[in-house]
Amino acid sequence: HFVVLPFRQICYFFYKNVAFGVTVFLFEAYTSFSGQAAYNDWYLSFYNVLFTALPTLALGVLDQDVSTRFCIKFPLLYQEGVQNVLLSWRRILGWMFNGLTMSPLHLLTWPFANVVRLLAWIFWEPQCIPCVVWVVNVQMAISLSYFTLIQHIVIWGSVFNWYLFSFAYGSMPPNLSTNAYKVFLIACSPAPSYWLLVLFVVIAAVIPYYSYTAITMRFFPMYHQMIQWIRQEGQSNDPEYCNMVHQRCIRPTTVGFTARAEARSRSQRK
Amino acid sequence: MPPTPKGNDGPTDTTKRSSKKPKLIVSRRCGYNRDPTYLWVIGTSRYAWRIINSRFTQQELPACKPILTPGWVITTFIFVGIIFIPIGLASLFASQQVVEIVERYDSDCISSSFSDKEDFIKRSDTNKTCIKKLLVSSSFLLEMSLRLIPHQLFYENALAVSFQVHKHMKSPVFVYYQIDHFYQNHRRYVKSRSDKQLRSKGYEDLTATCEPEAKTNNGPIVPCGLIAWSLFNDTYGFSVKNKVLEVSKKNIAWKSDKESKFGSNVYPKNFQSSGVIGGAKLNASKPLSEQDDLIVWMRTAALPTFRKLYGHIEVDLEANETITVVIQNNYNTYSFGGKKKLVLSTTSWIGGKNDFLGIAYLTVGGLCLFLAVSFIIVYVAKPRPLGDPSFLSWNRNPAGHLN
Repeated sequence: HFVVLPFRQICYFFYKNVAFGVTVFLFEAYTSFSGQAAYNDWYLSFYNVLFTALPTLALGVLDQDVSTRFCIKFPLLYQEGVQNVLLSWRRILGWMFNGLTMSPLHLLTWPFANVVRLLAWIFWEPQCIPCVVWVVNVQMAISLSYFTLIQHIVIWGSVFNWYLFSFAYGSMPPNLSTNAYKVFLIACSPAPSYWLLVLFVVIAAVIPYYSYTAITMRFFPMYHQMIQWIRQEGQSNDPEYCNMVHQRCIRPTTVGFTARAEARSRSQRK
Repeated sequence: MPPTPKGNDGPTDTTKRSSKKPKLIVSRRCGYNRDPTYLWVIGTSRYAWRIINSRFTQQELPACKPILTPGWVITTFIFVGIIFIPIGLASLFASQQVVEIVERYDSDCISSSFSDKEDFIKRSDTNKTCIKKLLVSSSFLLEMSLRLIPHQLFYENALAVSFQVHKHMKSPVFVYYQIDHFYQNHRRYVKSRSDKQLRSKGYEDLTATCEPEAKTNNGPIVPCGLIAWSLFNDTYGFSVKNKVLEVSKKNIAWKSDKESKFGSNVYPKNFQSSGVIGGAKLNASKPLSEQDDLIVWMRTAALPTFRKLYGHIEVDLEANETITVVIQNNYNTYSFGGKKKLVLSTTSWIGGKNDFLGIAYLTVGGLCLFLAVSFIIVYVAKPRPLGDPSFLSWNRNPAGHLN
């Protein structure tokens, strides 16, 4: 069953690239589409290599929504892969839509916020990129259902990588770091409003997905989520309960006229 | 066991083939609770590889398996709401403490005898001095009455303009010039500089990226490029009650720029000597590391509307004072429909005057609390846990009757 899970990795991959790419595109609107990059070249390159690569990898390799024991107990889980429930267009587009709608938040809060005291609007990457990196990693943390130590290390490590890289790159002599020289260190980090704005963007960008997940988890769960609930409530050893859950998956309803008719016909067949 | 047919398996040497064929040895009972050991032996025992089934390869690492229970959801939202609302209030309060005066002067500071603004600004013989009065007022009535005073009572080119600034401005009061619709972030503009040339005298001739402001007949232009060429050249002189207010130009540029990006042995050369003058002229006897205005200007802004630091006033400004500003309106923003504004501002821990952060935090905090309340209502109104068999219709009647 775990081979099914890279589907989530793929959706997430689309999401993080859309979130990042749309900010670049939106910035172009401000530069009268002259092609001036929003970010320094190295940040652009390292986004997919240093800051967000490892969590995606860890998601694909280590994530499991239900354990091996439950996979054997509920073989219908495999139908999720067969029916292509996890990689349907609806899911992919949903994730991309999430990235698309949240990226104006990353980019457009900064012009409104007027953060830095000495120079009112300066080069973009120490302001926008940490927002994107944080949001993308926090989003990963929320969508994970299996948190090992490795996941923790790679997620928070990727965020830390950004700060480390920013500090290191900015400290290199100006002939290497060009206009990123000490931008983060001098202009951004001493300003408390800079950190407050990053916090705001992260929380605001994650709230929609969090609410959506909470609602679907509770009221419209998918089969593997139902099994997670069963595990949570400790009813996995109750055979009748499990049987009922099987039926719930096969049929849309377990109450009402349809269910009664089914139950009657089944008992008659027996 | 059927006899294996002896056939011609191929031209290969059978002994060589058997030594390459891997032999699989599996130990018993691959139950999920056990740790079986798989042994792949390739060739002779010298190439024995052993992949031990560890918890990692069996995906049985210790982990926490979080699940979004109602308790968690509501707690998270309440927690975020409780944290965000005070932060929002504090930010809003700090922003309200900041006193800011913004005065647009490019439309007013043209002599009324010139109808063509571009023409006025490009000519070198026009008088570009403009005098404005700024009122640091705490009275709304006073401001309104001032607006009614006829124009002729004041100096030529002067206007009495008052702003809703409530109070005493504590030093240092920062003086900025703000330009609108100026695309300092345009790609060709941003490229048009030579950092190596700015850093050291030896690279004076590295002007390839600076076209068209790269060379003259007398040699390379230092500093070259369009960014330096378009240096802002309006000046402001402040006085209050006929006493001149000093505008300090110290520390307006970043220390890191002054020390590393602009060399102390690089002097302006052939600057603004071509036909079209784009902005200020530079003092050729001062090295670039001391030309603070240039350094500030060369840090290109990211947005088309930007402010750059002009200087700071180290004296407190009392409420209800009238500040007279003498502006030299030199810079040509008329050709492209730009606007120029003069800004005086105090600061707080939050930076300049900006209510956005406070309002944003309050909004998100409020939204979270609203979501928490709605989730509580939803979970209370629909308490049915997933798959509770007691809700099944055939379980409601223990005798099994359907109605």
